[in-house]
Amino acid sequence: MTEAKKLDKEQVKQAVKRRKQVTYAPVQPEEQLGFVHNNVDCIGCRACEIACKDKNGLAAGPRFRRVQYIEGGTYPEVYAYKVNMSCNHCAEPACLPTCPTGAIWKRADNGVVDIDSTLCIGCRRCEAACPFGAPQFDPSDGLVKKCNMCIDELEAGRKPYCVMACMMRVLDIGPIDEIRSGEYDTKAIGPGEETTRRVKGLANPDLTNPSIAFIPHSKGKVD
Amino acid sequence: MSDKLKWLADSLNMNRRNFLKTTAVGAATTGLVTAKKDAEAFAYEPYPKDDELETVVTSCAHNCGSRHALIAHKKGDVIVRLSTDDGRFQKDGYFGKDTEEEPQLRGCLRGRSYRSRIYSQERLLYPMIRVGARGEGKFKRASWDEALDLVAGKMLDIKMKYGPTALLDQSYAGASWGVFHKSDQIAGLLGRFLGLFGCRTNSWSVPSYQGTVFSSTQTFGSIEDGNEDDAYAYSKLIIMWGWNPAYTFHGGNTFYYMRLAKQRGCKFVLIDPQYTDAASAYDAWWIPIRPNTDAAMLAGMAHYIFANNWQDQLFINKFVQGMDQGTMPEWGKGGESFKDYIMGFSDGIAKTPEWAAEICGVPAEDIKKLAKMYALTKPAALKASWAPGRNAYGEQYNRMAAALQAMTGNIGKLGGCAEGIGKGWHAEGSALPEDPYSNIYAQAIKSDRWAHCVLNFPNLKREEIGLWPRQDPTDGLPPLIKGIFWQGSNWFNQLTNINKEIKAINNLELVVCNDSTITPSGLYADVLLPVATHFERHDVALPWYKGHYYIHRPKVIEPMGESKTDWQIYTELAYRLGFGPVYNPRAKRDYFHYNDATDEEYLRYWWESKVMAHQHVEMSWDEFKHYGIYKFKMDKPHVAFEDQIKKGKPFKTPSGKIEILSTPLATTPDFAKTQFGYYIPPIPKWIEPWEWLGHQKAVKYPFHMITPHPRWRTHSIFNNIPWLRETYEQEITINASDAKKRGIKTGDTIEAWNDRGKIVLPAYVTERCMPGVVVVHEGSWLDLDENGVDRSGNPDFLTDDNPSPAGAFAYNTILVDFKKSDLDHRPGWDKLATSRSHVYRRDSDM
Repeated sequence: MTEAKKLDKEQVKQAVKRRKQVTYAPVQPEEQLGFVHNNVDCIGCRACEIACKDKNGLAAGPRFRRVQYIEGGTYPEVYAYKVNMSCNHCAEPACLPTCPTGAIWKRADNGVVDIDSTLCIGCRRCEAACPFGAPQFDPSDGLVKKCNMCIDELEAGRKPYCVMACMMRVLDIGPIDEIRSGEYDTKAIGPGEETTRRVKGLANPDLTNPSIAFIPHSKGKVD
Repeated sequence: MSDKLKWLADSLNMNRRNFLKTTAVGAATTGLVTAKKDAEAFAYEPYPKDDELETVVTSCAHNCGSRHALIAHKKGDVIVRLSTDDGRFQKDGYFGKDTEEEPQLRGCLRGRSYRSRIYSQERLLYPMIRVGARGEGKFKRASWDEALDLVAGKMLDIKMKYGPTALLDQSYAGASWGVFHKSDQIAGLLGRFLGLFGCRTNSWSVPSYQGTVFSSTQTFGSIEDGNEDDAYAYSKLIIMWGWNPAYTFHGGNTFYYMRLAKQRGCKFVLIDPQYTDAASAYDAWWIPIRPNTDAAMLAGMAHYIFANNWQDQLFINKFVQGMDQGTMPEWGKGGESFKDYIMGFSDGIAKTPEWAAEICGVPAEDIKKLAKMYALTKPAALKASWAPGRNAYGEQYNRMAAALQAMTGNIGKLGGCAEGIGKGWHAEGSALPEDPYSNIYAQAIKSDRWAHCVLNFPNLKREEIGLWPRQDPTDGLPPLIKGIFWQGSNWFNQLTNINKEIKAINNLELVVCNDSTITPSGLYADVLLPVATHFERHDVALPWYKGHYYIHRPKVIEPMGESKTDWQIYTELAYRLGFGPVYNPRAKRDYFHYNDATDEEYLRYWWESKVMAHQHVEMSWDEFKHYGIYKFKMDKPHVAFEDQIKKGKPFKTPSGKIEILSTPLATTPDFAKTQFGYYIPPIPKWIEPWEWLGHQKAVKYPFHMITPHPRWRTHSIFNNIPWLRETYEQEITINASDAKKRGIKTGDTIEAWNDRGKIVLPAYVTERCMPGVVVVHEGSWLDLDENGVDRSGNPDFLTDDNPSPAGAFAYNTILVDFKKSDLDHRPGWDKLATSRSHVYRRDSDM
């Protein structure tokens, strides 16, 4: 770890950029959908996780959506918050170019990143590549699976199961640009609250440009 | 995964590879190029989409304070998945409708996991008769005839031999809460059945909140002291006293309205040994407190308010009895008022914040600051929750909190709070036959004293078991108990001091368990009778706590296996025992096989004669069935006691006032002859519990264990669900500095013990718990090793079955010690479901 820190960050950025350029040109969707999650107001109940399990018929093990419990401080000055993620349907998904069979693709209409399970060979390269832990290996059939934003629900004009499960109304989807600019009407963002792309402890969003915004906890803010 | 679940998964979700081949060819180019045109397939096609399935509106039904909508999506007779209220399933509904007055009733994680509960491998599908020893778990499958004949024969035998108290009713709310299929302590189906049979001892104290029931009844004359959940949005200050609405979903949308309150500027305070998820979500000021000392801290606050003259004297003078000398009743003039006690006029000890700080461990400055906030912020809600009442003398805490609510004039006002029990809107809660047979009993005892009663009979004093007084010659005679019936109840696993129960159960001659799931209690039963879940029978759901709505609950699928409803089982037994037509007056003799029309008849009658007649509902029964959900629209949030405060209606107490000085308690000549058994002061007082950190027992057992309600189970219900087990760990929460002293890290296996038992479970080390306190959530399914050590980590092996005088279970009055251990921990009976929650829990400083 110490070795890596000595590297010139600018140099690394350039290298990443170069790699992207020679690897592939990401799909530019007509409208990129993304998630918004309020880290503070979330009670961490994980109803979204269970709704997701039921929707996708998953046994214990693979976990498309993961509510992370983060805590810190020293008794009695403590704090806690939640960071809730599934797949971030990145603008530049790291999983996609690693797939040797082309099973992963990004939709042109809404930017949803999906895995075609007829092509997946369960090699788990995407799992290793994703900085957010989205692809999940399912040992029951040897395939890698992940959130597809309940594409069937989207096509039916509804929202994904996780969003519709949220008892606190702190998780939502929408056009990510509108979410970030504050134009999007959603209960996930309270009055006077502003979104951020990055919260402490998570991978740098510059890596893949994830389509997710957070209302951060004061202790979770970066910079 | 169980075979059944696997079959479901295979048939519905996972065998999709073959179907996808044609559509996916287009994308099968190289890994470097993405498909240009939209693919038709998505990853999990062709599983049935929601719109290709049949939609049935129903609800959850487990024993918590909420009730939420579940929308079943089914194919044939199989539920494929469940979703929840999205605004469509009501009159004038549409997708996304979610207003403040008609919010969506979104199910919690437990409700959302119901599909795996219905199809779980612990599902009880056939009648079973025990062949091994009690607790060994060896049963043989039996026919209904064989099982029912056995039960009926034994019942007659026991009644003849031992008399009318021999069968103990331990029905509880585990299969609640519908208007028709009721499992309940008082007016449930089992109580009606055993009462009509003429052989029933009742269990009268409620495990979750008996101290609070007592307090609300003495103080207000009613347990309906709750505002509706939307009233929280109007508070300026909410004090969550031992209350974690992020875990225990008390009411349809309580937690959500509190979020609205926060957005409108409400401040939050949490008094709790733990920094809970509710504290973080509402950004609360956390005041850690030594367990069982809440009444002392409240007394310190009261002193500071009196000393500064911040009390609402006009309110006190008008509405309160016994707050001070000016409000003492004629018969009590010169006696001890609440103020006399607090200021030390009567006993020479002023209950100052400094006095309280010594006991409760909260700095006097914080007690003063909170007292000032509460006295001067209007309106302010002191939500005195149940958990601190589940203590030795827990009732004193609830009574003391009610005194503060009254002295600050926060009762009967929007944004204030008189809870307490907190039961809000009054629903039409029962579609059962209206006759005098619902609650006949020969004796009634404190619920957690049954083992004590069985083991010590006949050498018992009535106060030891809290015998309910009777107006006949059997008053005070301890019951001879020779059998137990369980309906919607896993009490063997859930009452205090399980090791004592294990000793007692072998003295019994008949144990019958009605359930849809094989539970730890079931393993100790002689006969297991399989019960249809609420997806397999017709009912109407309602929240019993807060929330104003009804949810229709049709039979979504046919009863699985050979399961029957409790109504069918007890009706059939009643026929065999000779009182069938009285037990179920609308049923015919073949009800055991054909119950649908009769059930519909009961429900329609309830809707038309009660809901439509009493609650001004115009929607017909058929229309209600069509929509699925009926949400009442109120012009303003319901506030408890508003009529008393605004319109001068008397409280239902003897004096018609808020009785801080309780008339019944002050005029009781002999407590031994009451159900309480022991003296209870007529005004709230701090009384030292028999185990706490200030006690000499703490030298041997230096840690106080509290046992709150978990979020991932409802008591013990859902403990067998792998999905839920993945979201948590049955663990012992230890403060980081305490753990460091003993070299313990998160994930280490720990044994915790006291004189009553020993349990094994992993450690969760955190700064969020106060030093000297450990936390173990109640309800894990007992799993004994050969030495009687519980491998599941069920804290009720450590609890004491000695109840508080008012009947409160002392679930949170436990001293223990713990250490790192080599003993086995088994989170559940199935080995598959290990938790991975540590993966998703970390310190952000890392």
